[in-house]
Formats: sequence, C-alpha cells, structure tokens
Amino acid sequence: MADPVITTIEIILMVPVALILGVLFLFLFRKLNARFQWRVGPVIRMYSDLAPLIGKTRIWQPLYDILKLFGKDTIITDVAHRRLFVYSPYFSLLFAISAAFFIPFPGMELLSSVPYSLVIASYLIISSILFTILGPVASGSPWGAIGARREVELFLVSELSFVLSIFSIALSSGTLVISEIAGRGWSAPSILLSLTSGLLLFVAMLGKLHIKPFDMPEAEAEIVAGPYTEYSGKLLGIYFLSKTFLTYVLVALFIALILPPASTSIFWLPAWAFAAMVLVFLLTVVQVLNPRYRINNALYWYVKVVIPVGLVSFIIAFFIRVVA
Amino acid sequence: MGIIDRARVYSPWLYHLHCGGCNGCDIETLAALAPRFDAERFGIQLVASPRHADILVTTGCVPKQFIPMVKRVYEQVPEPKVVVAIGGCACGGSLFYEEEPENYAILGSPDLMIPVDVYVPGCAPKPEQIINGIVQGILKLAAKGSSRKRREV
Ligand code: SF4
Repeated sequence: MADPVITTIEIILMVPVALILGVLFLFLFRKLNARFQWRVGPVIRMYSDLAPLIGKTRIWQPLYDILKLFGKDTIITDVAHRRLFVYSPYFSLLFAISAAFFIPFPGMELLSSVPYSLVIASYLIISSILFTILGPVASGSPWGAIGARREVELFLVSELSFVLSIFSIALSSGTLVISEIAGRGWSAPSILLSLTSGLLLFVAMLGKLHIKPFDMPEAEAEIVAGPYTEYSGKLLGIYFLSKTFLTYVLVALFIALILPPASTSIFWLPAWAFAAMVLVFLLTVVQVLNPRYRINNALYWYVKVVIPVGLVSFIIAFFIRVVA
Repeated sequence: MGIIDRARVYSPWLYHLHCGGCNGCDIETLAALAPRFDAERFGIQLVASPRHADILVTTGCVPKQFIPMVKRVYEQVPEPKVVVAIGGCACGGSLFYEEEPENYAILGSPDLMIPVDVYVPGCAPKPEQIINGIVQGILKLAAKGSSRKRREV
C-alpha cells in the first residue's frame, strides 16, 4: 500500500472530485436526454441578455437542485418511523462517498490497493442502495412502500448481474484487489471477457441508477415519485447527493474493471474522461430508446439475458485462468 | 445573494395540480415544457410529488368534491412555496362559476381556499403567458426565501 500521508491527502481530495464529476455526468445525462427529445436542455452558455439575472451557465444544474433542496423546509410525517426515515439518507450518502475511496481514479490510487478492495467496494455500493430502500419503507406512505418493493426486486436481479460481472473479472485476473485488476494487461480472450462482463456491468448500472427501461421504482406516472414520495427538503437533497456520488462510483468502477490501464496513471486521464463520456452517452441512448418495463418483465429479462451472458463470461474467465 | 438563494431561482420545480376545468390549460402548460419552449433550459422541471415542489401550478375551477385534496396538496408543499393560478377558471371560476344561484358542483377559483400568488388569465393562456407567470412566481419565491432567512436570524 502507498504512503499513508499521500493516501490521506488523496482521500480528502477525492470527495470534491467525485462530487464534481458526478454532477457533470448527471448534467451530461440530462443534456443528452433533452437533445434526443429535440429540446435544448440546461443551457451551457446562457443567452447574453439573461446572463446577469440568472447566471452564465447551467452546467452545475444538478448541484443547484441539491442546494435549493437544502434551503427548503423538511417535512416529516406523523406515520413515519422517525429515526429510520431521517438517518437513512445520511447513511446512504456515507456509504456512497466511502465507496468512492476504494475505486482508483487516474493519478490517485486511494484505498484501491488494500486487500479485498473489490469486495469492500461492492458491499459499500450495496449498502448505499439498501438505505435508499429502508428510508422509504419507514416513510409510511403506500407509494413509498410500492416503490421500495419494486426497488428490492430490481436490486436483487441487478445485483446478480453486478456480481457475475465483477467476479468473472476477478477470477480471470486471480485477485480481489481493484488496483491490480485495473493494471492488468490485454490479450485476445480478455477482450472477449471485457465485452461480456462489460455488458453485464452496464446492465447492472441501468438497474442501479434507475435508467429506463428499469426505472419502475420511480415511475412517476403510476406511483407518484416512488421511494422518494415522502421525502422533502434537506433529506431529499441528501438522497440526490448520494445518487450523484453513486453515479460517479459506478462509472469509475466500470472503467477500472473493464478498460484496464485507464485508471492507473495521470497520463490516462484524457482516455478516462473520454471513456466516461461515452459510457454516459450509452446510458442516455438506452434511456431514450426504451419504454418502462413492468417489474415482472424486467425480472424475466434479467434472468433471460444475464444468466447466459454471465455463464459465457465465467467460462472465458476460467479459460484465461487455466491457460495463463 | 447567497448561494442557496441563487439556487432557488435557478431550479424551480413545478407541481401541476389539475382541479376541474376543461383540460385546455393543462395542454398549454405542458406545451410550455415541451420542445418548442423548453423550460428546462432554465432548470424548470415538472416533479411528481408535491413534497418536492417549489411552485404549485393550478389549473381549472375547483369542484366541491375536490376541496380537501387541493388543501392537502397545498399543505404538502414545503416552504418557501408559491402558487400560480393558470387560466380564467383558476383566476375567477370563468364560465363554470355562478354566484346566484350557486352552482351545485363548482366552488370557483382555488383562491377561495388557498393563497394564490400569481394569476395568469386567459382561456386558455398561451405558453408564453404561462412562462411569464412562472417567472413572476420565481421572483416571488426568491423574495419569500430571502425574507424567511432574515426572520430566522
Ligand atoms: S380557463 Fe378555459 S381553457 Fe382553461 S380550464 Fe378553464 S375553460 Fe378550460
């Protein structure tokens, strides 16, 4: 492991970096979404006559949304289980931020070289999502409960594809340390493995970030706002903040695991940024091209696609392991 | 202007409360958010839950059966909040409203039970008018937000 002082500095630096990148990814997502729908989306350069009144740019729009929520009243309903309702967003945020510490960023190794960092990171991501389920369950609202139930079902299947993907990669490189996986070399079978497990991880990201066709937990036309229905003000802001960090974490994890040397050194930063943008672009394309699935369709689809691809992925990983 | 006050102006979220009316105003309100006028350029977004909203957009005259729901939705919006009434119905009952003899089903405009901040008359108002009304609402929202902070200090 690296020098503890450097690691500490990197960890402190990581929080704003992850926040900024998360906000930029969400902005890109919204902007591309709007462009696909023939709209303009949040403007990058404000019209010159409006700029003195409402700011020069809206690149930070997701951050403004969060800040605005911090300035509003927070309503806690009588029927809510108060403690769980209030603390869940904070725990979700805490786990999402700490997951960012275990994933390498170009030029920053952070804690990704500690033993079993892959397992730790995946557990932190799972815990963060778990608290986005627990809070709504405690809210006492039927919409929140339905949203949470859908989220649990979606979470179980998306977790299947997540685990199949990361462990076939771990199997092929024979280690559970993210920094070693991120530094592995390329060969013909490993390209194939990156394709199959990349597909699985991408599908898992769709489920975890609630991107269509897997946005049924937040289906606003049917169940109000799903899990977030009863949340308002600061607590909702914390949930959005946690989602911002989670977006960064999943994108960074994808690049670290699937596109090997891109997150090892600072010289790879342009490639990392390009890969991240392409990934967000692909997520947007899937979002705009698809309608919302019903939950049983989604489960069926996951089982039908994920298990065969996962098996192929495992066979390739096994092959690499035996031959190498 | 502090950063939170500025953020309040930059990202107003609307909750669209349809109470009665003929649906004309609702179509125009959605047109204001659609590609032609695209209010999301300025961060204006339609949200699904009144708990997330800053601006309550009401359309239509209120049927008597709908009174408790309107009050409840208004109370669910966290402070600071602004109500924008869109259309002739929401401004004064329009053609559905009768004073004498009283209409058996229609109460009239929503300002008989909740405080309305901005009125956008017209049957139905054009999207430009609606956006103008929402901008007036945002200005009121900013004023309410900053005066609230002064009170707390
Ligand atoms: S104001 Fe006119 S268009 Fe709007 S709801 Fe009333 S009748 Fe319909």
